[in-house]
Amino acid sequence: MNTYLLAADEVNPLAPHPVEIIVGLIAFGLLLWVLAKTVFPQFEKIYAERTDKIEGGLKRAEEAQAEANRLKQEYQEQLDGLRAEAARIRDDARAEGQQIKAELRAEAESEAARIRARAEEQISAQRESAVRSLRGEIGGLSSQLAERIIGSELSDPARRAATVDSFLAELDGLGSRQVAPTAGAN
Amino acid sequence: MTTMATAPAPGFESPGVEDFQLPPIFGPVTKPVLELVLAAIIVVVLFRLAVRKPQLVPGKMQFMGESFHGIVRNSIAKDMIGKAFLGYVPFLTALFAFILVNNLFGIIPFIQFPTFAHPGVPYALALVVWVVYTWVGIRHHGLGGYIRISTWPPDVPWWVRIILTPIEFLSNIILRPVTLSLRLFGNMFAGHLLLLLFILGGEYMLFTADSILLKILSPFAFLMGIVFTFFEAFIQVVQAYIFVMLTASYIGTVLADDH
Amino acid sequence: MNIVGNLNTLGYGLSAIGPGIGVGIVFAAFINGVARQPEARGQLQGIAFIGFALSEALAILGLVLAFALSA
Repeated sequence: MNTYLLAADEVNPLAPHPVEIIVGLIAFGLLLWVLAKTVFPQFEKIYAERTDKIEGGLKRAEEAQAEANRLKQEYQEQLDGLRAEAARIRDDARAEGQQIKAELRAEAESEAARIRARAEEQISAQRESAVRSLRGEIGGLSSQLAERIIGSELSDPARRAATVDSFLAELDGLGSRQVAPTAGAN
Repeated sequence: MTTMATAPAPGFESPGVEDFQLPPIFGPVTKPVLELVLAAIIVVVLFRLAVRKPQLVPGKMQFMGESFHGIVRNSIAKDMIGKAFLGYVPFLTALFAFILVNNLFGIIPFIQFPTFAHPGVPYALALVVWVVYTWVGIRHHGLGGYIRISTWPPDVPWWVRIILTPIEFLSNIILRPVTLSLRLFGNMFAGHLLLLLFILGGEYMLFTADSILLKILSPFAFLMGIVFTFFEAFIQVVQAYIFVMLTASYIGTVLADDH
Repeated sequence: MNIVGNLNTLGYGLSAIGPGIGVGIVFAAFINGVARQPEARGQLQGIAFIGFALSEALAILGLVLAFALSA
């Protein structure tokens, strides 16, 4: 026990060694100075660059995404526009077709009406000419008839009737040859 | 220990504080002094290699450097300090690297002495930390504000304050650097003593002791030494981490507005 | 029986009891927390290590006092 106490008296492990303190402080101070001046700023710079790069990449990806969305919407709008355009064109064509059909029908109807009118005109003209020629002939015929009647006995009604009948039959035979179409038309 | 001295050969001298008195190599320069310089050189060289060719997609060295820096930056400084953490990251990272390398010297072959098993540098580093967080606190709150947040917890009845304020003063202003340095020193010291005990004990059992039984059992002592070497590696990393963590936490508490 | 040694060592042994329990409690709570909320692991880890360090400080103080008061 005595030796231990003596030894403890000689060397207390808690007593600092001045040389160590001085050298330690200088070494640590230099270490801190060199590292803080040259090494740690580099680390911080690299961290900042890395963060920047990652965030920049994310931002770029976001921008590309937005661009793609925008383009897609644009194409969608264009497509919708085209579709509407096509429908419109189809409707137009249909309407035009209807219109053309109606026009053609109207034209055909008017044409038919025109043809009918002309035919009626012609018919009336022919009748007129027939009437005119009849009028001319009727004078002669009447006078002939009158001659005959006057020439034969007017007193005998049966003869008179036979005369008229034969005259008419004559006229008929004449009419069937000449006047029949006009008479038939009437 | 006394049971081991049953052999007639010279009894086992258990390793003690004398083993931490290392002979000077030249002048006043001892092994820990060289280790301190070596640690600073190693840290600087490794970090310089890491940023030799900085690229967005990091190489192996750069990735390791960035991971180390990132741990201190994102899981220590950001969590503990809050939004103004960026300015303290260089200090914390340098502190972490310096302490870690010095601690790991304890298990690196041929060096095998944790620098901070001597208390001088832990004292000095804790003092630096104390100066830093006191200065930050005074700059942020003013002298009165700093003392108030350190000793005057809000919403406490006056009769509790009589006891609490001295305790807070003691723990926040005086004991913080003391425990900070002693924790580091104590762990390194005890860990090194533990390894010494197993290795020297095994050596004694193998070479000095007369008993055949002890010679046969000596591999177990070495095996335990190896197991505790791994355990020490863990402790050394954890202690460096805790030192930096607590530093960041102290800076965080003096920066907090609502405390 | 003759016992040789330093009483301070015994003192250190006693001073290590409390911190031992304390560290156990700290990490038990940490494990519980992580088991309940695995995503909070990162935050809890820092707090757990601070708690561990604060508890452990007492044991370290005991160790140091064992040397400091032995003179």
